Amino acid sequence: MNQIQQILKDRIIKLCSVMSVSGFEKRAKDTLYEKLGGDFDEIKTDPVGNHIFIKRCGKENAPLCLVDAHFDEVGMMVTDILDGGFLKFTQIGGLSLSVLQAADVIIYGRQTLRGVIISTPPHLRDGSDKLAAIEDLLIDTGYSKEALEEITPVGTPVGFAPVYREMLSGTLVGKSFDNKACGAVCAEAIASIDRSDLPCDVALMLSSFEETSRLGGVSSGVYSLEPDYAVVTDVNLARVPDTKKYETVPLFEGISIAFSTATDRALTLASEKLCKEKDIPHTMTAAPSSTGTNSPTVNLTGRGVPVVDIGLPLKNMHTYNETVSLDDAESLYRFIREFVMSKEIAEFFKKREEDIFNV
Amino acid sequence: MNIYSTLQKLCACPSISGREDNIRGLISEMILPFADEVRVDSLGNLIALKKGKSSEQRLMLCAHMDEIGFLVNFIEDDGSVRVAPIGGINFTASSYSCLISEKGVRGVLVPEGKVKAEDFKADKFYIDIGAKNKKDAERRVSIGDFFVAEGGIKKLMGKRIAGRPLDDRIGCAVLLSVAEALWTKELDADVYYVFSVQEEVGCRGSMTAAFAIAPTHSLCFDVTGTGDTLGASSMACKLGGGAAVKIKDSSVICSEEVVNTLCKLAKENKIPFQREILLYGGTDTSSMQLAGAGCLAGALSIPTRYIHSGVETCDLGDVEACASLAALFAENI
Amino acid sequence: MYNEKISPELYELCNLFGPSGYEGEVADYIEDKIKNICDNYTKDRMGNLICLIRAGDENAEGRQRIMVSAHMDEVGVMITEICDDGLLRFDTVGGINVSVLEGRKLTLSSEKGKLCGLVMSKAIHHIDRKDRDKPNKIEKLYIDIGAKNAEEASTRVSIGDFGAFDSEFYLFGEDGAFVKAKAIDDRAGCANIIEVMRSIYANRPEANLDLYFCFTVREETGLSGAKVAANEIRPHIAIVLESTAIADIPTADPSKKVADVGKGGALSVADRSTIYDKELIELALASGKEENIPVQLKRYVSGGNDAGHIHKSGSGVRCLAISVPTRYLHSPACVASVEDINSVRRLLEALLYRITD
Repeated sequence: MNQIQQILKDRIIKLCSVMSVSGFEKRAKDTLYEKLGGDFDEIKTDPVGNHIFIKRCGKENAPLCLVDAHFDEVGMMVTDILDGGFLKFTQIGGLSLSVLQAADVIIYGRQTLRGVIISTPPHLRDGSDKLAAIEDLLIDTGYSKEALEEITPVGTPVGFAPVYREMLSGTLVGKSFDNKACGAVCAEAIASIDRSDLPCDVALMLSSFEETSRLGGVSSGVYSLEPDYAVVTDVNLARVPDTKKYETVPLFEGISIAFSTATDRALTLASEKLCKEKDIPHTMTAAPSSTGTNSPTVNLTGRGVPVVDIGLPLKNMHTYNETVSLDDAESLYRFIREFVMSKEIAEFFKKREEDIFNV
Repeated sequence: MNIYSTLQKLCACPSISGREDNIRGLISEMILPFADEVRVDSLGNLIALKKGKSSEQRLMLCAHMDEIGFLVNFIEDDGSVRVAPIGGINFTASSYSCLISEKGVRGVLVPEGKVKAEDFKADKFYIDIGAKNKKDAERRVSIGDFFVAEGGIKKLMGKRIAGRPLDDRIGCAVLLSVAEALWTKELDADVYYVFSVQEEVGCRGSMTAAFAIAPTHSLCFDVTGTGDTLGASSMACKLGGGAAVKIKDSSVICSEEVVNTLCKLAKENKIPFQREILLYGGTDTSSMQLAGAGCLAGALSIPTRYIHSGVETCDLGDVEACASLAALFAENI
Repeated sequence: MYNEKISPELYELCNLFGPSGYEGEVADYIEDKIKNICDNYTKDRMGNLICLIRAGDENAEGRQRIMVSAHMDEVGVMITEICDDGLLRFDTVGGINVSVLEGRKLTLSSEKGKLCGLVMSKAIHHIDRKDRDKPNKIEKLYIDIGAKNAEEASTRVSIGDFGAFDSEFYLFGEDGAFVKAKAIDDRAGCANIIEVMRSIYANRPEANLDLYFCFTVREETGLSGAKVAANEIRPHIAIVLESTAIADIPTADPSKKVADVGKGGALSVADRSTIYDKELIELALASGKEENIPVQLKRYVSGGNDAGHIHKSGSGVRCLAISVPTRYLHSPACVASVEDINSVRRLLEALLYRITD
C-alpha cells in the first residue's frame, strides 16, 4: 500500500463510521466540519441536509464545477416498541433481507445503544423455507420497554455497527462505503490541490436522500449552487459470479465511466480522454436509460447541468460488509484531481450567461 | 369555526384532480376573511397569504383539495360509460357506488357481470347513467368528462365521523381553522395557506406552489393510515391518539428539526400527539421539501381508517389537536 | 419518395439519425432550416434548440411567453458490451418492444462514423419447438456488424455508441394518403413547427407574445430535455406537438382505442403524467371548429410526453398536447395519415393567432 492509499484508507474509515442514515444526514455535520472544514473556503449545510464545501480558485468569472457524492447511507428506523425491550423496525433504502438476521446494529436515540437483529428461528416458523420478512424481525436491546420509549422513540434511526477490516490486495471491508467512500476520496482529492492549479471554483457536495427519494436531495443543492458542469461519483456494482458482464464492472481495474442518455456525452468523452492521457485505470460502461445515481437529477435541475457519471466498483452493496479496492479508490482520487484541474473542460463549459435571449 | 359543518360543505363539493374549480371557489370564499392576499396560480393552486412582521421566514401550510375519480374515455353502444381511474382508485372499495360528473350527471359504478373481485380493474368497470343507448348517453356525457364518487359525511359515536372525501377535505378544514386562529395574531413569519391541486396523481400542485413561494418551513396536512382496526397491518398510529407527527412515509423522511419542534410544542402544551411512520403512500411533504432550494419540511397527519373508500373514518379530537399544534408551530417560527 | 402534400422536411427529418441523447444530426439540420425564420435562436447545454419569434408590441408590459415544443429524439439502442466473437450486446433507449428488433437492420453511429448492423438471434432450427412461439428476450439478441472478433469490432464501435432503425420512408395507400417511416414520433412535430414558424415569422400575431419554438432532446427516455428548456423559458403556456399510439386496428377492443387515423390531431385530456388545461383544450376545439380543421379528443388514458415535465416546472405551466395519431409507434414502420399531420399544423397555427395576452 502506497502513501496515498494509506491516507485514503484512514479518511474512508473515518467518514464511513459516522451515522448518516438517509434523512439524518445533518447529524454528521459537526464531524464533517471538523474533519474537512479546514481544507475549504466556504462550508454550509442546506435545509435538506446537503453538506456543501467550496474551494475558490480566486480567478474572476471562473466556472463552478460540482463534485457530488451522496452522503446518506441505507439503514433502519424504529417503528414500534414492544414489551420485553424489543424494537420493530423498517428499512430506510433497499436492504438485502438475507444479511439482516443476527446483524449487529447501533440505535442512534437520545443515547446510542447496541442491538442485535433477531427473528423467530426457522423450525418454529411457518414457511421456514422463506426468509423472515422485515416485519417479523426485531432488534433486541436488553432495555425495558419503558426505558426505550424514552431513549429510542418511534422514528429513531438505526445503522449497522462500523467494523472495518483489510483483506488481500488492498481490499477494504465494512459498512457504508456506498457512498461515503467516494465522498471521502473526493474530499481528499480536492483538498490536495493547490488553489493556483484550479481553473474553476469547486463545490464538493455530500448530498442527502439519494437512497430514499426519487429525486434526491441533490436537486435542491444543485438548484441553489447553479454549477456549470458536474461530476457525480457513486459506487458501482462490481463483477461477482452469476452476474452479467455488461451490467457490472471489474474490481481492481479502476473507475467506471458511464455512457448514458442521462449524462452529457461531450463531458463523458472528455473524461475518457483525460483518463487515457493521465494513465488512470478506467472501464467504459453503458447504462442506456438511467445510471441509477444522482446524475439524471443533476443533469435536469434548473437550466440543466452537463454531468459525467463516475463509478467506484463495490461488492456486497447495501450490506454491512461492502467491499472496495484501495487501488480503485486511488484511481478515483487521481481522476477527481485531474478533472477539476482540467483547463480544457473548464474552458469548454465556461460560465454561462444569465439569460439566453436577453429579453 | 365549526369543523364539522365546514367539513360538510367541503365534502359535498365534487372536485377531481385537475378540475378543482368548484372546491377552489368554495374555499377561496372561506379563507378570504383570514388572509391579506388570495391568488390562484397556473395549475390552479389556491394560495392565501397572512403577512408576518418580515418575509425572511416563510411558512407554507398545505392541504390538497383534489380527490380521486374517473375520466370518461369511451361510450359503448348500449350507453354504458367506460372510464379510466384518476389517482389511486381501489376498485373493490369503489364498486357499486354512486358517482356524479362535473356537469352534475349521476351514475353508478359497477363491474361487468361474472368478473371476480380479485380481477377488479378499470377496464372491467363501467358507469350506468341510465341511458338507453349510446346516442342517449351522449346527450349528457362526453369523452373527457370527469366523475367522482358522491361526497358526504355522517356522525358516528363520540367525536368520530365517516364519509368521503375526508382525504383531504379534512386537511383543508384544519388549514381553514388554523387561518382563523392566526388571523388576529401578530406573527414573525409570513404564513402561506396553500390548497393544492393534483396531489392524488403525484403531488404535482404543491411542487409548483412551493417553487413560487420558496418557503423556509413547510407543513403538510393529510390523512394517514392507522394500525388499530381488525386485521390491520402493524402501525403505531391510532384513531383518537392525537395529532400524528409524521416522521416518514414512502415519499419522504421529514426534517428532524420540524419533528422535534412539533413534539416539543405538543408536550409543553399538553396537546395529544403520536409519532407516525407510514410504510406506504406519499404526501405533498416530499415535493415541498425538495422544491427549489429546499426547505425544512414536516407534516401533521389526521389518522384515518379505510382511506380512499366511501367510509373514510376519523376522530374530530385528532383534527382539533392538529389545528392547535399547527397554530403553535406558526407562532414559534 | 414524397409528393406535394407533405413537406420535404418531413421526409428528410424522418431519415435522420437521432436516438435520445444523440440528437446532434437532427439539431444541426433544423438549425439550418430555422436560422432565417426566427428573431433569435440558441442551443442550450442539453442540446435543445430554442427559437424565439416576438409578436405584438415589443415593449408592452405583461408579454405572454408561449412555448411550442416537439422532440427531436427517436427510440433506439445503445451498445453495452463488445463480445469476444465480435458480436455486440445492446439495450434499448426508450420503449421498444423487443419483438420489433429481431432480424432488423440498424444504423449505428458515433464520432467514428456510421455503419450497418443486423439484430440477430439463434436460427429457428436451434430453438426448442416449445419455445418457438415465445419472443426472444433482449439478453438473447446480438448486433452483428460483420466483425470477425472483438478487436476488429472495436475499431468501429465502442461501448456507449448508439443505434437506430434503418427503415425506408415511403407514401402508400390510395393517393399516397399515408406515410410510413421510422421516427414519425416526433419528426412530424418538428416538421410542423418549422412550417408554422415560416408563416408566423412572415405574418406575426397581433397579441403581445414571445413565441419560443423548442426542439427538445431525450423525450423517449423520460429524461426530458423539455424540463430544462421550460426552466429556461419560464413559459405561461406550453403546447406540445407529439405522436400518439392509438390502437386503431380491428383486432383491438374498441373501448381501448386512443384515437382514429384520419380524424385530425388528438388532444389529450389526461395521461399518466399530466392533466391538461381545460381552457386550452376548449380553445383548441373551438379553433378547429371555426377553421374547419378536424380535431379529436384522445380517449384511452396511457403514456405521457414532455408536458409531464413542463407543467410542473417553475411555478407551474398550463399545457396542451396535440398528437398525430400514429400506428405501430416505436417500430421501424410507423404509419400516419398525411392529412392528420397537416391538420395538426393548421391547428397549431390557428391557435397561435388566437392566444391573447
